[in-house]
Parts: sequence; C-alpha cells; structure tokens
Amino acid sequence: MKTLLLATIAATLSATVAFAQDKFPSGPVTIIVPYGTGGSTDLTARPLAIELEKIWGQPVVIVNKPGAGSMIGTTEMTQAEPDGQTLLINTAAITTAPAIQKDLQFDPETDVTPISLLITSPYVLVGGAKVESDDFSGFLEEAKGRSMFMGTAGPGSSSHFMSELVIEAADLPADVVHFSGGGEAQTNLMGGHADTYISTTASVMPYVNDGRVKALAVLAPERFELLPDVQSSGEAGVSGVDINGWVALFGPGGMDPALVEQISADFAEAMASDTMKEQLKQNYAVAGDLSPEEFKEIYLRDMKTWKDLAAKRGIGQ
Amino acid sequence: MELLSNLALGLQTAITPSNLLYCFAGVFLGTFVGVIPGVGPLAAISMLFPITFYLDPTAALIMLAGIYYGTTYGGSTASILLNIPGATSAAVTCLDGYPMAQQGRAGVALFMTTIASFVGGSFGIIVLSLFSPLIAEYALTFGPAEYFALMVLGLVAASTIANASPSKGLSMVVFGMLIATVGTDSQSGIGRFTFGSMSLLEGFGISAMAMGLFGVGEILSSVGATRNAKIDSDSAKLRNMLPTREDWGRSWMPGVRGSSIGAFFGALPGTGPSIAAFMAYAVEKRISKTPERFGQGALEGVVAPETANNAADQTAFIPTLTLGIPGSATMALMLGALMIHGIQPGPTLIVQQPSLFWGLVMSFWIGNLLLLILNLPLIGIWVRLLLIPYHYLYPAILIFLCIGAYSVRANPADVLVILGFGVLGYAMRLANLPAAPLLLGFVLGPLVEMQFRRAMVLARGDLTSLLERPIAGSVLVLSAIMLIWTIAGSIIRHRRQFSDAVNPTEVGG
Repeated sequence: MKTLLLATIAATLSATVAFAQDKFPSGPVTIIVPYGTGGSTDLTARPLAIELEKIWGQPVVIVNKPGAGSMIGTTEMTQAEPDGQTLLINTAAITTAPAIQKDLQFDPETDVTPISLLITSPYVLVGGAKVESDDFSGFLEEAKGRSMFMGTAGPGSSSHFMSELVIEAADLPADVVHFSGGGEAQTNLMGGHADTYISTTASVMPYVNDGRVKALAVLAPERFELLPDVQSSGEAGVSGVDINGWVALFGPGGMDPALVEQISADFAEAMASDTMKEQLKQNYAVAGDLSPEEFKEIYLRDMKTWKDLAAKRGIGQ
Repeated sequence: MELLSNLALGLQTAITPSNLLYCFAGVFLGTFVGVIPGVGPLAAISMLFPITFYLDPTAALIMLAGIYYGTTYGGSTASILLNIPGATSAAVTCLDGYPMAQQGRAGVALFMTTIASFVGGSFGIIVLSLFSPLIAEYALTFGPAEYFALMVLGLVAASTIANASPSKGLSMVVFGMLIATVGTDSQSGIGRFTFGSMSLLEGFGISAMAMGLFGVGEILSSVGATRNAKIDSDSAKLRNMLPTREDWGRSWMPGVRGSSIGAFFGALPGTGPSIAAFMAYAVEKRISKTPERFGQGALEGVVAPETANNAADQTAFIPTLTLGIPGSATMALMLGALMIHGIQPGPTLIVQQPSLFWGLVMSFWIGNLLLLILNLPLIGIWVRLLLIPYHYLYPAILIFLCIGAYSVRANPADVLVILGFGVLGYAMRLANLPAAPLLLGFVLGPLVEMQFRRAMVLARGDLTSLLERPIAGSVLVLSAIMLIWTIAGSIIRHRRQFSDAVNPTEVGG
C-alpha cells in the first residue's frame, strides 16, 4: 500500500514536471535587455516579443536593465529560476565583460545557459576622414607610414577587443583611443580625429551608406555575402581575427536541455517572421542557425579568446 | 523660396488632427513631468517608448519630442517655487528664481521663464531649420582637444556662479569633480572607488545627484524650520504676474545671449541643456554691471538659463537628425523611435523624408506655442501650490524623487544615492556651502578628464599640440585670461577692502 502510494506520488510528481515543461510558458515571460530603451538590442527584442506573444499566447515583457557594460541585467537573469520564464537577450558583451570585470557575482560558465544565436554578422573595420586607402591591404600599408588611432566604444567593449585583436594579428602600428559609445567614436572618425572603428554591420553600415565613413574590411577569412564589395581581412593576408558579432538569447544556468531546445525552436520561428527578416536586411545581418550546443561552444570559445587577449595585452589591468 | 515650401510641407504634416493631438499630448505630459521634481524626461520617454511601435514615425517623434522640450518648460516651476529643480537643466534657475519667489515675485518669475522658454525654443528652431547641415558639419571639427578646451572654459566660468566667496565656490567645483571620479575609468576600464559594487561602475547618475542635493537637501533643511514665507494669493493675480517695463528691459539682452549659448551647446553632442543653462548664467553674472544682485533674485539669472536650456533642447536635434548621432540618452531614444520604423537618420534624412523632418520642425513651433498657451494660465495654479502645507507637499515630493531616481535605469541603488546626496546637500546648507558649483563640477569634471586623456592619446602625449589647434588654443587662452582676471580682480578687491579698513577716511576723499 505504502509503495503504491509512493509510486503514485512519484508518478504524479514526474507527471507534473513533464506537464510543466510541456506547458512552457506557464505565465508571462520576462526578457531582460541589459541596455537602455531604444538601443539596438532593445529594438531587436521588442519586435521579437510581439512575435513570441503570438506563438506562446502569453504576454512577453521586455525589462530594460542597463548598466555595468550589460552585467547588471545579466546578473539579474542568472539569479532567476531556470524555468524559461526569465530570459536575456545580450550581445557579445556577455563574453567580453567577464574578461575585464573582476567583481562579477556569477560564474559565466555555469550560471548562464546559452540558448540561441539570434542574429550574427561579421565585424567591419571602418575608416574615417583621415584614412586615404579604400581597402584593408591599402590601410595596412598606410599604417606603416602613419601610426593609426583605433577608436572604440569604450574600454572592454567588443570594438576595443576586436581592435586589440587586429593590432595583434596584423602587427599594426596603432594606438587605441576610447570614446563613450559607438556614436561618439564614429563622429570622431568623421571629423578626422581618430582613424578606425570596428563594430557589427548594424552599427556601422548606416554611416558607410551615407558616405561618412568607409568600410575597409570585413573581419573574416572570406568576403561577407551581404557586403560583396568589401575586402575581407583574409584576402589581405591577416588571419586570426575571424570572430563574429552577435545578438543571442540566454537563460539562467542549469536549464533543462529539452526546454532549451523548445525555446530555441520558438525563437527561430519568431526570427523567421517578416518583421524580423526586414530588420535583418536593414542591418546587413543574418539569422543564426546553430543548435544550443553549437552556440554554447562559440560562447565559451569567444569568452576564452577575450580572456587570453586581455591577459596578453594588459587590458583592464 | 525652397525654405518656404519646405515649411509649408512641414506645416501640412504637423497640422493634421492626429499629429496635432500627439503634439498636445506630448507637451501636456512634458509640462507635468517637468513640474514634478524627480521624474525626468528620460524616464517619461522610456516608459512611453513602446507605444511608438504602433504609431506612424512622425507622430511618434512629435509626441516624444513634445515630452522632451515640454519638460524643460515645466522644469523651472518647482525651482522657482520650492527651490527644488523639476529637471536637472533647471537647477540653475533655483539660484535666482527661488529668491524672487520669496520676495513675492513668483508670478513674475514664472511668467518670464515661460516667455524665456518660448523665445529660447523659437531661437533653437530657427537655427535648426536654417543651419542644420552646416552646424552638424561644424560640430564634427570638434575633437577631444576642442571639447577639453571648452570644458575648461566652463569650469573657470563656473567657479564664480555662486554668491559665496570664490574659495568656497572653487572648492565645491573640485569636490564635484572628485565625486564624479567614481565609476569606470574612461581609458583603462577599471572601476574607480566602486568597492566591488556593480551599480557604481557607471558612476552616480546626474539626475539622482541633482535631485538629492537640491531636492532632498531642501526638504531636510525645512524640517523643524518655521515657514516664514507668507504667500499672499495676490501674487497669483494677473496684475502682479505681469513683468514691469523695467523687467522686460532687463531681460532682453540676457534672452538673446542665453538663446545663442543654448543653441551652441545643444548642437554639440555630449554637452546639452544642463551645461548650456550653467554657462548662460555664468556669462550673465560675469558681464553684469551689478553681479552682486545675482543670487538675490535677479531676473536675468532666471531668463538666461531658461532661454539657454530650451534653445539647447531644440538644437540637440541637429546632430541626431542630420548625422544620426544622438548627443544624449534622451536623443538616443528619439533615434530609436525612427529606427524601429526603418528610418535611418543622417544627411539624407532631410532629402529622403522631407515631410518627417519639416513636419517635426513645424511641430516644434506648434508645441512651443501650445506650451506658451498652456503654461501662462497654469502659473496661477502653480503659485497656489505653495498654499499647500509643506507637511503634505514634501512627503509627496520625496516619493516622486525616489520614483524618478529609480525609473531612470530601474536600479534600487539609485534611490540610496539620492538619499546620500540629500544628506550631503543638507550638510552643505548647514556649512553654507553652495550646491550649484558642485553640480557643475560633477557635470564638467568627467568631460574635462575624459577629453583631456583622449586628446593626449591622440597627440601622443604632446601637451603643446593642444595650443596649436586653432579652436582649442584660443579657447584655452581665453580661459587663462578669465582665470587671471578673476584672481587679480579678487586680489584688488581684497586689497581695497583692506586699505578701506585701515584708512577709512581716504575713501571719501
């Protein structure tokens, strides 16, 4: 009798667990955006939320938690239950920040579940008013005569790490100068105060299209399908800089793999909507098509790259 | 002629019933957000931002912009009546606005700030519609060296804005700069004085600081103080609200200067209305023949910053719309509102989206006009606000201050920051130390440091290169002259007073 009772309880419990997972989402889903309202990540998350509400039939709430290079919002996400009801959309900053912030209140390897690579595009090196060359080979030549100033969006930002990576890989004579955000960096390029800036297609292409800055290189072994006219760093003989920029979805550590799969599939469906396709087109970016495991590898690999680079080049020391 | 047809096109867009409605909704909300201390435009616009997904981009921008410049109209109200700025850019207005209110001239002060806001706003719009591309181009020539020079000039000018002794003013500027060192180091990325707290990595928020110093400080010091200001409801009567002929005469030139200063600083990304207001005030005080009147209720000290911050509000749209580069967090939101509709601001915006650009410009006119009409009758109501006993009013304001601090980035730590600065503000009042120079040091300090370090990286450590750049060099020389003049002036004054004290008879002769 006792055994039967226990078995029943056990069965009920496991059924509830299974039921709970089948029933995801069981209520409103919160997506934390660790940047301000109206920023590029926010502008990706909000239309996605509208699509996800259609798929899930539950309210999807965007919560902006800016600060500390996206780490305030990220920390808050890691403290939530790993039931999929609290998620995070972040950029590659989630991999660069651990390399320089010593006071993180979470372990980026175990307290974060990488779920889905939403958007990806290569990093583009753009040149300002003072740069004379039109492609990367010419730029490398030019830099031999005149040491360059590589503007960044701030110390520890991905534009900073990518600049250091390029200096390292191409043995480029250059100094890094930090601005407050990509906008200010590119204004200084336009005014000829600094020479280059590296960021994703979404942040540089508007100014490239205006003719205000010029795209010198796509940092990848091959040319990028959406920017066929821009030389790749590989063509110029520079390797080891082929890291892509991305926007991705994360959950708290220890999420059930089946749940991760389901959420990843739902987001893929939302990303396939017309609104998101239109946005991708505008931003010269592509939707990610990696499984959660594959994306996790990239997440861990990038994090290690930045950590090693930070140690090697004395970033944040 | 082209301008006229553009303006006509803009008017056509702006005057459609729905756009008119959004404009009115924006400025109406903005006025209230401005009047309530603590809740700033950034918080209000962030909250309303999601609506823009469902609106036509022009309508969305018209409304968000209305909130933005409407706030600056309303911001001075609490400064004048309660000595608590409603918005950060109205902090300077406290200096002379509140003394005016204590002298029973609250109505006049409010009336003149409304007119000043309108004049400043209109000036900004004229600049925006006539010279946008030109100014955007000019702003690009400003590199780190130029910004550094300009901010140094600001600091020198700032040390004299308070009525306290120069040493007190100067030490408060330095204190403000020191407080601003908390946070991420701009060139190395290392947290300074953060003690492992992530909330401090971004430093203290400007609005939390201003609201704490001025708002909570004022409220704390009122505890136990008997309220002696007798508000006669007479001052709310139209007759007593109207400025005298002398008032108009006094305000004319400060208004022109304030507008120009505001338009200049507004168009420079990274500066904005608060710095513009401080600068306009400092300039007025410096060129005034009677600088001792400042801080005692000088009308110029209210008019100049109010024209400046409103002009800056309008010209802040220049880099945002013509370069696609937002100069502040609020402007970044405006940019976001365009981008969700796939519109990329930039030099081509005026050509490709003429109805949007000119519609927006014309809506600014309409909005400013609406604000004028809206605000003048409200003055009487605001003045009567003072009849509410402080023990009802202040707790409510405290709550708004906390909500405002929290809502900027949804971080509870900011509420503690506001409390901390409130205690500091109270302590400073007890010690008779001026708060305005501290706030200015706090705003300018990080800019001076950051731009200097960037300029040094770009010059590879060559200090003389700063002087070789035409704009930066001349501004730095100007600052040096001003500094020497200030020091020499105070030494001469000191000596004269000293000799007066020794030989009192000689003065008469």
